[in-house]
Amino acid sequence: MLEILENNWLLFLVGQYPHGPIGGLTMTLFMAATALALCFPFAIALALARLSPYRWLRLPATAIVHTVRGLPLIMFIFWTYFVSPLVIGRAVGGVETLVIALVVYEAAYLSEIIRAGIEGLPAGQVEAAKSLGLRYWPTTFKVVLPQALHNMLPSMVSQFVSTIKETSLGYVISAHEVTFAASQVNNVLLTQPFEVYGILALTYFVLCFALTSLARFIERRTSSGRGGAPGVIVAA
Amino acid sequence: MIRFENVDKWFGPMQALAGVSGEVGRGEVKVLVGPSGSGKSTLIRTVTRLETIQGGRVLVDGTDVGSRGVDINRLRQRVGFVFQAYNLFPHLSAIGNITLGLTKLRGMNKAEARERGLAELARVGLAEKADEMPGRLSGGQRQRVAIARSLAMDPQVMLFDEPTSALDPEMVGEVLAAMKQLAASGMTMICVTHEMGFAREVADEIWFMEGGAVLERGKPAELTGTSAHSRLQAFLASTRHGGSAA
Repeated sequence: MLEILENNWLLFLVGQYPHGPIGGLTMTLFMAATALALCFPFAIALALARLSPYRWLRLPATAIVHTVRGLPLIMFIFWTYFVSPLVIGRAVGGVETLVIALVVYEAAYLSEIIRAGIEGLPAGQVEAAKSLGLRYWPTTFKVVLPQALHNMLPSMVSQFVSTIKETSLGYVISAHEVTFAASQVNNVLLTQPFEVYGILALTYFVLCFALTSLARFIERRTSSGRGGAPGVIVAA
Repeated sequence: MIRFENVDKWFGPMQALAGVSGEVGRGEVKVLVGPSGSGKSTLIRTVTRLETIQGGRVLVDGTDVGSRGVDINRLRQRVGFVFQAYNLFPHLSAIGNITLGLTKLRGMNKAEARERGLAELARVGLAEKADEMPGRLSGGQRQRVAIARSLAMDPQVMLFDEPTSALDPEMVGEVLAAMKQLAASGMTMICVTHEMGFAREVADEIWFMEGGAVLERGKPAELTGTSAHSRLQAFLASTRHGGSAA
């Protein structure tokens, strides 16, 4: 196993770069981070629409979230893969396809996290803002969202962990990420799939476990940080 | 200044306000007293449409609070509201809580807003706590910041919804002192409170509410004097709140 790692660590880390496209773990992280960053505004818009008093905003947003959450990610990847060339008029690479699919998919999940964060705020916060005479947008952006997002930071890190694992599906459309790199190594060695995919598993685990621990750490800090509810510490 | 005309309010099948009428003149201090669930808080919440009403009218300076055309946010800027649970914004410092409204609604720049905010904090004796986060302040200090936050908007009326009920006893005094000072400055106030000492000292009139109606109103001396035989007095005698009457 160590020998495989010794001979192929660069492929695992950055793919064929600099002789080919960048890939490997670097691409995995890049795609996950990009997807999450790009889906953020959509997620906020969806969350606000779902909490809107207006039916014409609430119903479509709710429909979108339920539809996306009711379908497997691989469906979105296939759709994006086959539909976006028709829309754009040219072939779309695996990386772009995966990022687009992830943005749509993660926006639905992230919007639910943000919605929970908003609904979890005491009603008095909005009432206090209203009482000052603040309108909807300043109330949302200066009072509601800063608190909701702060409280939801641990959940968002967890969502990032899910996204990292989901990028492995990029393998089926040849997005050059770490699973793709592992399969390349496996194709060269041919006889050691257990070891190769063992390394892959370990890579994912170390990364995701570290991030999950970070989420727990943040959770502990946020619960005591503002002198809010010091008793709320999540079981380790 | 504020007029209630036959105000009705239901929470589902429960009638919270039953034909409440009354008037609060400019510079007057009214204290609302009564058992919990009697509609006191609901009544003052109707003044800024934190609660909508199903019947009657609430007028602020002649403006019908419930009418469709009214700019409710503009009206709310003129009516300060202090909550039982303070409702400070926990992600903003004491001064940040105050400057938010000034920069967003009064068009002040940061420096002007800070100066104004510091002046308001000084008025409630908390100038040195300007940059503390609310989580690091005591309950009494938080409530005084909340009062300063409302005052910074230059309200014509201040509404207090049991401002001392969530406080430890030793902190009640500092908040009441700030309220007394405000009353002395001529502010129009409606206070929901169980602090009868405060009511006797500053109230122009006490309204005793029960079951969503104002059952009795009068000057503090008439309702709580030793020779009075009022329903308010019976209520005070029957509850532990009577203990804080001294």
